[in-house]
Amino acid sequence: MGTASPRALNSRWPAVAVVLLAMALFVVPAIAAAAPGDALVGVEITLNNTSGGSLTRFTFVAKSAAPIDSLDLAFPRGFDLSKITLDVVTLEGLTRVPVTAKHEVDGTALKMTFSPPIGSGATIRAQIRDVRLPATGGEHEVGVTYVSQGTAGSVASPEFTFETVKTSELLSRWLDEQPWVKSWNTVDALRLFAQPQKIAIAVPLLFVGWLTSITLVAIAFPFAIVGGLALAFARMSKIPPVRWFAGLYINVIRGTPLFLQIYIAFVGLPIAGVRAPLFITGVLVLALNSSAYLAEIFRAGIQSIHKGQFEAASSVGMTYWQAMQHVIVPQTVKRVLPTMTSEFILLFKDTALLSAVGVFELMLYSNSIATRSGNLTPFVVAAVYYLIITIPLINWVGRLEAKLAVAEGGQTPQNPNKRGGLFWRPASAGPIAEYEASAEVHESR
Amino acid sequence: MSDQAIVRIRGLRKAFGDNEVLRGVDMDVVKGEVVVILGPSGSGKSTLLRCVNRLEEPTGGEVWFEDVQVNLPKTDINKVRERIGMVFQSFNLFPHLTAKGNVMLAQRKVLGRSKEEAARIAVEQLERVGLDDRIDYYPAQLSGGQQQRVAIARALAMDPHVMLFDEVTSALDPELVRGVLDVMKQLAGAGMTMMVVTHEMGFARDVADRVVFMDEGVIVEQGSPAEVFDHPQHERTQDFLGHIT
Repeated sequence: MGTASPRALNSRWPAVAVVLLAMALFVVPAIAAAAPGDALVGVEITLNNTSGGSLTRFTFVAKSAAPIDSLDLAFPRGFDLSKITLDVVTLEGLTRVPVTAKHEVDGTALKMTFSPPIGSGATIRAQIRDVRLPATGGEHEVGVTYVSQGTAGSVASPEFTFETVKTSELLSRWLDEQPWVKSWNTVDALRLFAQPQKIAIAVPLLFVGWLTSITLVAIAFPFAIVGGLALAFARMSKIPPVRWFAGLYINVIRGTPLFLQIYIAFVGLPIAGVRAPLFITGVLVLALNSSAYLAEIFRAGIQSIHKGQFEAASSVGMTYWQAMQHVIVPQTVKRVLPTMTSEFILLFKDTALLSAVGVFELMLYSNSIATRSGNLTPFVVAAVYYLIITIPLINWVGRLEAKLAVAEGGQTPQNPNKRGGLFWRPASAGPIAEYEASAEVHESR
Repeated sequence: MSDQAIVRIRGLRKAFGDNEVLRGVDMDVVKGEVVVILGPSGSGKSTLLRCVNRLEEPTGGEVWFEDVQVNLPKTDINKVRERIGMVFQSFNLFPHLTAKGNVMLAQRKVLGRSKEEAARIAVEQLERVGLDDRIDYYPAQLSGGQQQRVAIARALAMDPHVMLFDEVTSALDPELVRGVLDVMKQLAGAGMTMMVVTHEMGFARDVADRVVFMDEGVIVEQGSPAEVFDHPQHERTQDFLGHIT
């Protein structure tokens, strides 16, 4: 009975209403003549706490139309009755009369036995404390059966609802009760910056923001690479206006804060009549900004390739673009990869600035949770999320640079003592040193 | 002006800012001729060579290759360069490609040869310079002498009508010079037209059809190796040869 599906419940609802109406009209005034089937009327159940997974107090109220010997409540599966306490009274007018009640719990079934039986015409109120609700909420019902003067009877199952609770909330509540958490939180710094309960709640919430941040940069960066390449070649163009325009763009972007560019885009575009979703505008600003930095990285990388490479390509009849495509750029990729990755790291961190204009990324998520809860733990969780991306990349850049240094030093494993002509350069100078110097300028942004 | 001249240079001038490196050079190179250009450093011999395929833009005079004037803006210089091979002092192999890849690249992209044909010719040319066992090595895995021979193969694969050698042995350890010179000798023997800037006097004496001595941007003296080496007419030539030998 208690396991009836919600749909069955719904379709039966009109029938329940009819029965209740019938009871109100006929049964209640005719108490003395009540049949066993009508020994209990006006059954209601209320909860004082409707958050799933928590402890709650059930209040069961009904009127007896005949003496009641015992009362059985069948809770749905998932309810935990193991810690309940029971308090039964009858209300006669304004006076409460305690009832001596014994109770037994068998799984989710609660059996209350009254001695002496509750008399006819009483309002019964049973308070069942510390029932643990299951995590998943929704509409539920409790099956009610009773024994009246030795005859069993049942009434329509009263319904109640409560809310589903998130796993993280459950975990947080569980942590609330753990002794080690309590002692951990007695240290102010730990409670403020690394409170276990707040970590449990922040981790899944910030995950969404983290994905947004990653998506922002994952879309913006490829565009920035294309734009950066175009700008780099424009900057090296033989046509002066093209060169000037690229130079102007690069310098304006690199010479102003990204924060300012974000404000201009997010305030300016709507004024200019361009209505784009915040996310798209965010991607746009990031790509436009990063392309300027990448342009300088690419230009420095291309110019660090020995002039002889271009001459050799030219001497066999290759055009400028053929030489670029087949000779210069392939060599540049290896050299710019570390600096490019550093730029990616910077851009990923810079997505945080978009929080100021309402793009719901990692920073804005952590900020809103932190301000709401008055606790800094969400920021620490956000930091960890940023680091999950940045630390491996930083390590990778380090290894790339070390490998590059070996390769550019011409010290190959095959002939460690040879002065490998093409790559051999004095350690202190040369295009690589110049290139790295220009890369450092970039990193100090 | 010979009808057979592949390269004709008339009144060639080249200045880098105020520094005039070439001050009126006239030179004809006929088909099959090996011209060795000697001279002290700064005499303009490398610049002369680089003006032939316009790696340097002349500031005056004319450079002709076959029936095309090289130093005209309307000249498709890439078309000209297909037929002028050049080998550099610093090899300038493409480090991201194997020896074979280096020799194949321009054949594919410039001459439009098929992959199979380019590969076949690359292997042929690498065999010709004695590197058939280094075909799949990367430049960094090769000695300087081997790299330079790959560079020669790379130029030869384009079927050039003339080859320019710009101090190709100067960056090599002494024991590696011979292998490169041998390849060049063999090339000269096969009738290749060559303009060679070098400090290898032995090579010039053995291989050159004509030796040109340059100083301070002009040709001071030229003639057969015997004339120039054994009976230099000009004081500066005598001085230079005296210092070298």
